[in-house]
Amino acid sequence: MENKKSSSPASFIDSTVVPGDVVLDLSSMTNQTIKLGGGLRQDCDAIPAMKAGTLRFSKPNKYWVESSQKRYVPCVEDTVLAIVVDSKADNFLIDIKGPALAFLPVLAFEGGTRRNIPKFEVGTLLYLRVVKANFGMNPELSCTDANGKAAEFGPLKDGYMFETSTGLSRKLLSSPTCPVLEALGKKLSFEIAVGLNGRVWVNAASPDTIVVVANAIMNSESLSTAQQIIMVEHLLKNIQ
Amino acid sequence: MEGRISNAWRLTVNDKNFIKTALLSEIRIDGRKPFEYRKISIKFDRGDGSSEVQIGQTRVMGIVTAQLIQPYKDRPKEGTLSIFTEFSPMADPSFEPGRPGELAVELGRIIDRGLRESRAVDTESLCILAGKYVWAIRIDLHILDNGGNLVDAANIAALAALLTYLRPECSLGGEDGQEVIVHPPEIREPLPLTVHHLPIAITFGFFGNEGILLIDPTHNEEAVMGGRMTMTVNANGDICAIQKGGGEGVPQRVIMKCLQLATSKAASITKQIKDAVEAFNTERALRKIKRHPTSTGVDVRQKQNQ
Repeated sequence: MENKKSSSPASFIDSTVVPGDVVLDLSSMTNQTIKLGGGLRQDCDAIPAMKAGTLRFSKPNKYWVESSQKRYVPCVEDTVLAIVVDSKADNFLIDIKGPALAFLPVLAFEGGTRRNIPKFEVGTLLYLRVVKANFGMNPELSCTDANGKAAEFGPLKDGYMFETSTGLSRKLLSSPTCPVLEALGKKLSFEIAVGLNGRVWVNAASPDTIVVVANAIMNSESLSTAQQIIMVEHLLKNIQ
Repeated sequence: MEGRISNAWRLTVNDKNFIKTALLSEIRIDGRKPFEYRKISIKFDRGDGSSEVQIGQTRVMGIVTAQLIQPYKDRPKEGTLSIFTEFSPMADPSFEPGRPGELAVELGRIIDRGLRESRAVDTESLCILAGKYVWAIRIDLHILDNGGNLVDAANIAALAALLTYLRPECSLGGEDGQEVIVHPPEIREPLPLTVHHLPIAITFGFFGNEGILLIDPTHNEEAVMGGRMTMTVNANGDICAIQKGGGEGVPQRVIMKCLQLATSKAASITKQIKDAVEAFNTERALRKIKRHPTSTGVDVRQKQNQ
């Protein structure tokens, strides 16, 4: 019974896996080129899970384990919200809620040269992209997209930043739009930036809008769609 | 070392400015009004003499124990009360194990002064044999989670633990009546401590511009505020202790305003502590009643559904 389960990948998709579960067996699959996302590792022909969470699959051949935690494990091409800790000659030292401080090269900006190095004071909030993330090394970040353009990356002005779990950040960025954001967006106008490292930044014209949006998002993690909409209506009634 | 730097909690420039700007319109980041307290929950899960208090995200555990010792030479007829704090590193990334930091010592002193100077706990009733044996009450406060305003939470934890603590009964015996026999709780009912009144600590935060004042600061607000003051008052309006440790200066009328606010908050918090202790005492008494197996007992399942 157990052996049968481990050799048929379809049975694990969208169900909970724990570290050690062999979710895929390459020898029994027709299309041998698959993409492994986070939480999976290749062990010769078997693919065991390394994190506890839900196994997800997206066509044509991408598999990954989705889990939510407070700590962030840096992955390449993630967009994160980071805080400047220090600036050195070649890099800025940045905190991304990961196991180590990350480096942002002073030249990693659009049109960045040695003459126009930006000056960030300690505590500046930046929206950045992870370029290199290897185990044991400090991750490297960049303030441009893959083509070298600025594309919305950079310092964020005003607003309020709060911390969430990584699962909630991913839910906020998913499409179709997360129910909490949709319900809030119908009545309020605000600007939001979500970092996959569990940080969210909100800005709006008035402080009470920011407070309502922040509290609504923080409360929405464990609620279902219907509950989220009810919670948002409740909060909005209190401020109007 | 690297791990500690990267794990430290940081506040961004945006947050600092936002907290101050929002306070100008009397809005706090968790939606409270400036003079509103967070929800306080008092639990007694670990038995007599121990309490777990939660104010919002802040959690403190208080444990009371007692020991027979020789009294101080200048106070032969009084027992002693001492407070020990432990700031667990799991509560906050900035807490280090080992020697208590400045904040820990200050917290211990505020609570100690509030209880000792106001004579909240009757130390004379702790004397068994004058000059030889008295009870030494020791309160241990463990900080489990730092969500801001540790002083108030720790104070409530200490009071709740003191109110539910039962000390063993003892009597004098031996040939010349100089020996103390401590009776185990199964033989003789242990006795509660005599607590005359409950000194409640209320902490205020000051923000320099525009003289903004708020009560019960959270972790972020504590990092941004310019000064803090803790007032320990009881429900009768007596001031037990005031502590203002550094920070910016405040005018006299602000201090008088804080006093009025503290007295009104102390009354409601005293009531909450007393209700929680009474509920625990009732439950404890009910547990001691041995029921006949044939009589109808309390249906636990029904209670949970309610």
